[in-house]
Amino acid sequence: MKGWLGRAAFVAAIAAGVFACQERLTSPGQCPELCPGGTPVVFDTVVSAVTGGDESVSGYVARGGGVALLTSSGLPASEDRTVYRFVSRLDSITVRDTARAYTVDSVQLALTMVARDTLVNGLKVVLYRLPADLDPDTATFASVDPQLVDASVIDTIAVPDSVNAGQISTMLRGPEADRVAIPVGTGGVLAMGLRIAADAPTGARFGSIAGGTGATFTTYVTVDVPDTATSVVHQSLSRGAQDNSFVTQTPFVAPPGTLAIGGEPSSRAFIRFALPLRIRDSANVVRATLEMLPTAPVSGLPTDPTVLRALAVLSDIGPKSPLTTDPRLVTDDTLSLGSADTLRLDITRIVQLWQQSGERPEEVALILRPEGASFTRMAVGSTNPVSPAGAPRLHITYLLSFPFENP
Amino acid sequence: MRRALLILVLLLAPGVLAGQSSQFGVRGLGIPGRWLSARAIASGGAFGLVDPESSVSPTSLSGLAMLTATFTGVQSFRHVENPAGAESLRESAFPQLAIAGPIKKLPLVLGVSFSNYTSRDFTLASADTILLRGALVPVSDTFSSRGGMSDLRFAGAYTIPGGWVVGGSVHVLTGSNRLVSVRAFEDISFLTAKQSSEVSFAGVGFDLGLMRNFGTSFSLAAVARSDGHAIVDRDSATVARVDLPYTFGFGVRWRPAPALDLASNVVVRTWSASNSDLLAQGGTGADNTVQVALGGVLIPDARRPNRRPIRFGVHYGTLPFFLGTGEQPTEFGVSLGTGARFAQQRAGLDLALEQVWRSAGGYKERAFQVTVGVSVRP
Repeated sequence: MKGWLGRAAFVAAIAAGVFACQERLTSPGQCPELCPGGTPVVFDTVVSAVTGGDESVSGYVARGGGVALLTSSGLPASEDRTVYRFVSRLDSITVRDTARAYTVDSVQLALTMVARDTLVNGLKVVLYRLPADLDPDTATFASVDPQLVDASVIDTIAVPDSVNAGQISTMLRGPEADRVAIPVGTGGVLAMGLRIAADAPTGARFGSIAGGTGATFTTYVTVDVPDTATSVVHQSLSRGAQDNSFVTQTPFVAPPGTLAIGGEPSSRAFIRFALPLRIRDSANVVRATLEMLPTAPVSGLPTDPTVLRALAVLSDIGPKSPLTTDPRLVTDDTLSLGSADTLRLDITRIVQLWQQSGERPEEVALILRPEGASFTRMAVGSTNPVSPAGAPRLHITYLLSFPFENP
Repeated sequence: MRRALLILVLLLAPGVLAGQSSQFGVRGLGIPGRWLSARAIASGGAFGLVDPESSVSPTSLSGLAMLTATFTGVQSFRHVENPAGAESLRESAFPQLAIAGPIKKLPLVLGVSFSNYTSRDFTLASADTILLRGALVPVSDTFSSRGGMSDLRFAGAYTIPGGWVVGGSVHVLTGSNRLVSVRAFEDISFLTAKQSSEVSFAGVGFDLGLMRNFGTSFSLAAVARSDGHAIVDRDSATVARVDLPYTFGFGVRWRPAPALDLASNVVVRTWSASNSDLLAQGGTGADNTVQVALGGVLIPDARRPNRRPIRFGVHYGTLPFFLGTGEQPTEFGVSLGTGARFAQQRAGLDLALEQVWRSAGGYKERAFQVTVGVSVRP
């Protein structure tokens, strides 16, 4: 019995040593008795932008160079029309080394609808034929809109209310195809303008060449060639957009002294700060919020969100300053349309970058996404004395180095 | 070759050394170690000055007849109470490693030990609500410390004919404290703030010991130790110098019968020496400590004293570092244990069970500690 007890005691001892090694050391703390060094103290401060160190620069994405093209009808944000010009279609098709004429059976025009106001029903997209020599890059609202008349209508596409995005198209057969007929010897170019109508003022964004979603123009033809297979006789000629753009009735102009962001061509804002040494050298920043005051309520297309993006600037060389591609140093915030409240962007990681690397300028760049392809455009207050809204500022919450007790 | 390998392993092992934890080790240098083996702990530490596997006095090494390596591990189950709440904790610690053996043809025993001098292993959690950006934000803070000071001892004991033993040690005091403060916000838009620092210690001490054996049944032992001071570096920069205590110990061992071995000792340490240095660093100060232990061993088989001895003891003492309440913490413990030798006495396993109570004002804790000692005589 004694031997059994002894062995049991040793087994228990070994078991305690081997199996009970899990540590749990966290106990309730009571200050100041159990707080060596005290407790962390959190500070809150506001740093204003450097006077004259903020600027707005335009021209990053040209009108029509974005991932979408704008078309609207009575939208308060802006009045726009989309224009496409397709790649030239040849007058003949080469079969067995011989150019042969063809007859057009039907034509399909297809568009990609990127976004629409999903709360507005009865959306119709009206396609108009425009002169083939129209240059979308130089076209203006005044030069395009008067040509979008009933006589030049190609077709109208009724977009089901349930369709929020995706491809829409129309097929023109027989006499309808004559609306897009291209006489032989005229260069084979088709140009097209878009206008929309709906139950209420609205807008829509359509695909572009830059976004890889440009419109397509497909012609189904019968080739004049005897004694051959059906696949040779019946062919299709597909052409994508060669140029595209949109025209705006009232291009956005920011109030004097303010920082414009977005619009077309797109504008970016650059804001420079000078962190106090106390923060730059020894603070542990737990939250940094960039605060800006819009000069007017943010306008745009309802239900089509626009994102305000803040990026770290890697080197301050003016408008061509390289911006970070590190996703950790990029902050997005979706804008609330109709709001004139202070815009707040969390740029904590960017401020921490300024602390960690003395080579990085204490500067942040602001862009609107999709850049050059959104109905939203805005202006925020600057450090310029004539600015109608207050200057940007940085709200920083931080802790100083913890005063660890020695020992 | 095996001996060399064993020595190498034991010398490398200090990297994992850790001592016991306590809320009474949060301030100052931490909670002091007791430099005892498992079998000495089983008898309340009463045999500390005469136990050859303990590191309290160099003269105790004279009890070793062959090269001996010992390793001590502790599993502690602790319940902490303070004004902020109560919590049950557990931890593992390895407070002592030692290797020592006699020198051939000389009445001399030399040894190296690595033991816990002070320990600061703890994590404290607290919660609060602060006003940030016009809103009340709940926050939680944790302050954790790992590490402490360790004592690398080089000791020797020389037996003089007539029952006298003299000994001396050199102590290299070293170690570091890894401190981490974390503040987390319930509002996740605020990032968690984590700050850390490493405090390291360096010092040198020495001691002298004297023991008189009156036959095999009565011994007296005394030790005096000076630890000088510790240089304190924080993140590689010297920030402070803290005076360390003198230690004076006196012990007695008496075997009134072959089946009963009794011992007692008193150890006084002048921790008040570090009081002004700690206060200058913003600490809460320190005071002298006294440790008194009384214990014994019941030997069921006098011919085989290592066969399941029953060890028992109590100890009482004061702890050096205040928690700010102005009241010096005290400690009381009762212990029980046994042990066995295997493989022709070349391997041993000792077990100690100890219940400890510590308190100071509204701060209390009780700990149940299981100490296992493994000894090898290659």
